[in-house]
Amino acid sequence: MKKYSWKFPLIVTLAVPLVFGGLFAYQDATAEDTAGSTPADPMQFVRGAKTWANTCARCHNMRDPRELRDDQWQGVVAHMRVRANLTGKEARDVLLFLQQSN
Amino acid sequence: MKKLVSIGKASVLFIAVALLPVLAVAQSDAQRIAELEAKTAAMAEALTALQGELKQAKQDGTLANTAELKSEIVKATQYAQRAEKAANEWKNSTAVTHIAGYAAVGYTDEENAMDSFDVANFNPIYHFQYGDRILWESELEVNVGDDGQTEVGLEYSTIDIFLNDYAVLVAGKFISPLGQFRQNIHPSWINKSVSAPPGFGHDGAAPLTDVGLQIRGGVPLGEQVKITYSGFVANGPRLEGEGGELHGIDTDGFASDADDEKVFGGRLSILPLPKLEIGISGAFGDAAIVENDGLGLVGDPSRDYQVFGVDYAYQWGNFDFRGEYIEQDVGNAAGSVASKGGKWATWYTQTAYKFGDAKWEGVVRYADYDSPHGDETQKQWALGINYLLTPNAIIKLGYEFNDGLAGEKTDNDRLLIQVAYGY
Repeated sequence: MKKYSWKFPLIVTLAVPLVFGGLFAYQDATAEDTAGSTPADPMQFVRGAKTWANTCARCHNMRDPRELRDDQWQGVVAHMRVRANLTGKEARDVLLFLQQSN
Repeated sequence: MKKLVSIGKASVLFIAVALLPVLAVAQSDAQRIAELEAKTAAMAEALTALQGELKQAKQDGTLANTAELKSEIVKATQYAQRAEKAANEWKNSTAVTHIAGYAAVGYTDEENAMDSFDVANFNPIYHFQYGDRILWESELEVNVGDDGQTEVGLEYSTIDIFLNDYAVLVAGKFISPLGQFRQNIHPSWINKSVSAPPGFGHDGAAPLTDVGLQIRGGVPLGEQVKITYSGFVANGPRLEGEGGELHGIDTDGFASDADDEKVFGGRLSILPLPKLEIGISGAFGDAAIVENDGLGLVGDPSRDYQVFGVDYAYQWGNFDFRGEYIEQDVGNAAGSVASKGGKWATWYTQTAYKFGDAKWEGVVRYADYDSPHGDETQKQWALGINYLLTPNAIIKLGYEFNDGLAGEKTDNDRLLIQVAYGY
């Protein structure tokens, strides 16, 4: 195989987020959508329930929302956002659904 | 004289008439005084009564406690406010710590082998999260070895930086994103079968972990369709030689790069339906033999290393379908202690069905693993029945019909029992 520099593929790899979303379009939605507060968007709970039902069972049995406290769900959903390739919006929707259903 | 008498009478009468109003006024004042005296007496009586009540109140301590009571109310209010604040602090804290993980115990009854309790693992996972920006997650793997020694390994440890809604930068030792079984299905409480499919374990066909950088995420395409992606650059695997042959590919994740050539790879999947995922994976790079006949080896020439895989998962009603093909291919290398390369390839397909109020689950899986070494090659039918104590606590009973090289372990049928718990 032809020898190559690893720097170019690394740059290409890092460019992926620029293509898919923009590094500088970070959405800080910690306050308005989570922690059991009344959602600004009344459909967020519904979307969260739908994403929870469709996504979680793709790999494992459905976990009961009452199984964990609000703050515990926070860590679990962040973990699952990475593992299941959830979008930030999907993760916030699911978190709100779990926090309001436990 | 008579006139004088008349004048005198008249004078007296005049004086009497003139005094009449004075007398009337004097009479009115007397009444008023009497009324006032009565009122004064009543007021005195009321005052006496009030004084009595006041005295009684002082004796009872009611008045003395009023100020104290007010102070207590203020203190209680402040305490309640502090308690309310404290009760809600955990909801509002920026940094969150959480422990998850899974554990399993089991029993294996294997043909031509000693039956034993041979599975006992404990995998705690630590999550340290800072807002919606950073997650540090680490999983330990604690096992009891055949010799009774406890073995501890670092399954993965990564810092995950949420760049935006569609991209997460993952740095550290991560589970290989190639394929689906290793990164999502292998935990015992998730895997519906008792064992991993042949070729998905150590030194098999599916890469396990790697050390490097990874970017991954999901992007919606319209209302229903979604794609997910992951791309990585990492140190890559190490090769093992034995008896002049390439013995295996070690993909346990190394914090150094033996051949100074990175491995690049990733996975792309599409979800045309919310419960259907189809993925394709690939990686390329170089690898070198660093251990030969159990001894360290330096300077063996590097060689091509490639991975290819496809996978699917679909849920329909109570059915769960999934399958995966993955191969690792190592090229030839002239001048190496084991010049000939090899290909490790495996695939499996599995169907599970929940019944009995979703408390029971039947599973059937077929797998076919091909290795350059005949004693590793194996075909397998695995049947299982699971009972879900809870959605995350499962009792599994399975039977494997194994077809491998005669006389090898890969040819032994097995009965397996496992209790797995994810927390």
